[in-house]
Amino acid sequence: MTTAQSSQSTHVAGAAPRAAGMASSSTAQRWRGFSNLLPALLFLGLFFLAPLIGLLMRGVLEPSLGLGNYEQLFANSAYTRVLLNTFSVAGLVTVISLLLGFPLAWAITLVPRGWGRWLLNIVLLSMWTSLLARTYSWLVLLQASGVINKTLMAMGIIDQPLEMVHNLTGVVIGMSYIMIPFIVLPLQATMQAIDPMVLQAGAICGASPWRNFFRVFLPLCRPGLFSGGLMVFVMSLGYYVTPALLGGAQNMMLPEFIIQQVQSFLNWGIASAAAALLIGITLVLLYFYLKLQPESPVGASNAR
Amino acid sequence: MLLTPNAMGPRLRIGLYLTTGLIALFLLLPIVFIVLLSFGSSQWLVFPPPGWTLKWYEQFFANPEWMASVLTSLKVAVLTTLCAVALGLPTAFALVRGRFPGRELLYALFTLPMIVPLVIIAVAVYALFLKLGYTGTLFSFVVSHVIVALPFTIISIINSLKLFDQSIEDAAVICGASRMQAVYKVTFPAIRPGMVAGALFAFLVSWDEVVLSVMMASPTLQTLPVKMWTTLRQDLTPVIAVASTLLIGLSVLIMVIAAALRRRNEVSA
Amino acid sequence: MSAVIKESAQADQPLVSLRNLNKYYGDFAAVDNISLDIKEGEFLTFLGSSGSGKSTTLSMLAGFETPTSGEIQVEGKSLIKVPPHKRDIGMVFQRYSLFPHLSVRDNIAFPLTLRKLQTAERERQVDAMLKLVQLDDFAHRRPAQLSGGQQQRVAIARALVYEPRILLMDEPLGALDKKLREELQDELRHLHRRLGITIVYVTHDQEEAMRLSQRIAIFSHGKIVGLGSGYDLYQNPPNAFVAAFLGNSNFLRVKAQGDAAAQFESQSLAMRPTAGLQAAQDLLLMVRPEKAQALTSQQAMQEPLAAGWNEIGATVNEVVFLGESLTYNVVTAGGTSLTVKALSGNLLPLQAGAEVRVRWAAADACVYSEWSESDLSKTAGAH
Repeated sequence: MTTAQSSQSTHVAGAAPRAAGMASSSTAQRWRGFSNLLPALLFLGLFFLAPLIGLLMRGVLEPSLGLGNYEQLFANSAYTRVLLNTFSVAGLVTVISLLLGFPLAWAITLVPRGWGRWLLNIVLLSMWTSLLARTYSWLVLLQASGVINKTLMAMGIIDQPLEMVHNLTGVVIGMSYIMIPFIVLPLQATMQAIDPMVLQAGAICGASPWRNFFRVFLPLCRPGLFSGGLMVFVMSLGYYVTPALLGGAQNMMLPEFIIQQVQSFLNWGIASAAAALLIGITLVLLYFYLKLQPESPVGASNAR
Repeated sequence: MLLTPNAMGPRLRIGLYLTTGLIALFLLLPIVFIVLLSFGSSQWLVFPPPGWTLKWYEQFFANPEWMASVLTSLKVAVLTTLCAVALGLPTAFALVRGRFPGRELLYALFTLPMIVPLVIIAVAVYALFLKLGYTGTLFSFVVSHVIVALPFTIISIINSLKLFDQSIEDAAVICGASRMQAVYKVTFPAIRPGMVAGALFAFLVSWDEVVLSVMMASPTLQTLPVKMWTTLRQDLTPVIAVASTLLIGLSVLIMVIAAALRRRNEVSA
Repeated sequence: MSAVIKESAQADQPLVSLRNLNKYYGDFAAVDNISLDIKEGEFLTFLGSSGSGKSTTLSMLAGFETPTSGEIQVEGKSLIKVPPHKRDIGMVFQRYSLFPHLSVRDNIAFPLTLRKLQTAERERQVDAMLKLVQLDDFAHRRPAQLSGGQQQRVAIARALVYEPRILLMDEPLGALDKKLREELQDELRHLHRRLGITIVYVTHDQEEAMRLSQRIAIFSHGKIVGLGSGYDLYQNPPNAFVAAFLGNSNFLRVKAQGDAAAQFESQSLAMRPTAGLQAAQDLLLMVRPEKAQALTSQQAMQEPLAAGWNEIGATVNEVVFLGESLTYNVVTAGGTSLTVKALSGNLLPLQAGAEVRVRWAAADACVYSEWSESDLSKTAGAH
């Protein structure tokens, strides 16, 4: 506002030749406040966009111009194994965290406010607690001599310790654990917005609790389930820390694969192709996620 | 009736509460476990521990490498916070107040680092700094952390700025304050909760950041998570439990501060 | 001799004068060539529906909007190039716009702090203001701890404390409930009388405008379509739009028969002598419901029609009892619908379906020769 005014006052001397100042004032009006954007824009352009584009270019430029890296990615059985691992783990993690997140979100909506707040705090605590610390904890819990194996053996359920780390089992357990909050928060918001009277109406219309659950409640929760599930799936595809620590060397996922190619083999071409694939899938899924947003009553604005 | 506990029927209700209790325990288990383990006397992380001790804490605090990593982490986190707020504040103002075309698209651009997988950002930035010869410097840590912290800062400042009634700023102007004076004296104090929350997010993101830091680190310059990471790959010493407990402690502290701020904000609003 | 002329010229000079003011957003004229003089010490209200340009005009006065063209002068000096913080104008906003992080006292002291007043002097003035708006006991509270009415008093005190010559008020009472609004309207009128400050007030509430102001400017489609005292605007609306906008009105479509008579549904009516009419020209007569009377046939026979009065026949369609008054909705043989308002008194109300004679004095009916159909509906005025 002040810039527009000062620009006008410098251009306009008297009352009559005001038209001269109008054009420049309207351009100033149009781009008002844009200059405030420049520092961050410059920063992101220089340190985020340029390197990102640079990285993606290497997939078609190195070692030679062409789509060779992409062909390799789908032709080499070791590489397709990585892709398969990535998608199956992400899918499994999404299903498990949905199954565990649903009752939690439901209970938070249901119980008296004080209790609900405590449950929500537990979810938030788990979400904001260091990822590395929690993964380390699972590593210790799940190891052959760990508490879980010992307990199960003491109870006589198993004779030999289960192998739960350094394989995909460990990855799925650790990641599902980490993803639960990202299901609970959007889903709980969706449930909170449902009018309990609708369910009462369902019951009065003669629906049994089961029918009411499947025909009324679940469909009403669908926006939250979809947006939470999609978010978790996308995040699972790109997770590095948990799979790297809980997984085994022979069961790699895409993010580990990228790092390994860059750090150990200096094969930037194939790493770039894998990165492009990951970004592509992420953006496509995100597009669907955003498409779903308007239909959800509250959205997953609190999912991070 | 599925959302009103009393009308739900006792079997379903008890079943749901029991399941919820177990899931809540599942969420708490690793956190509580690691804190307890850091006080356990067993070198092999036996649980329940044969006895309680502070010797891992002594080892942690006596070790210059761990201490150096804590110091680096703090330095990086503080610098990241300052940069993220300094960059995020004008950006949020421009995105909320500006009238220029393409604001939606620019907003999407600024939140992109939240969406692109961390691994890819890490590799891309690593490639850049490798070329520039900046890997293993404080600069590379701060820059890479600011990239991922910035969206959090921008979003939380935008949220509080949107709630701020701009006519309050106009009121200050009509009272005789220049636009800049009005922003400093009225708008900034009013959106302070958002600014503080944005700063806390930035700090927490930087403090916990692993993937980027692992790529940026050198043997001589490591943040606490990097030091944990490299140690973890060798053995599972209880000293890592100590480091984890400290990370958890700081996260909890920041969460409590954020909650207190929110509450105060709700009261005054 | 010359001194006398000079003096009278000065007294006539307005405090604020708007000259050919325009504000365009693209091709859209939010304010369309407005010229207006505001006298020193007067209470002037901009009245109009939302989007009529009243708030944009106020914003340009305050300096938050820059006019596309035109001139704003205070005592003959242009304000166009003066930024809002240097205009020395007071303003009270719609949602109070108090500084949430400052106490009541600090809110009121804010303009004085900016003007670098000495502490003692500042405290004295703030105390005086707190007393004026009766908030002495709330000085240390935060705005959020006050009621809406109290917040508005703080906003008024903050706008008055630096003694601006002009106070702008942008629908300041809109968020309050009716009773509190009327209370504050009375307070505001008294305050204005006591301080003698010039107030420009914006509202869409015509009752509020009537209650408060000495003059009202009625806005429609970015133009001022009526300017004058509430009494004049109501009794003698300058055009059909103002007639329809202010209060209730009956419109009769007639054809001119000479300059003091007109034909209405095959009947001749007397009207105010109006110059410059052509024979059989379409005209519009406007009669306020309370100026018309409805009589039964017997009453009409008992009371002969006075000179200068008109009478038409109609059928009662509906009777609505409103406590102190009654309204009859009647329909003429030609299908024109009219409203007649009468004090309830001790007369027996007419029944629906009854034949009535509707009478009014020709002098009480306004005559319009130009109008557009949209003027006649109550909702007109906004873009």
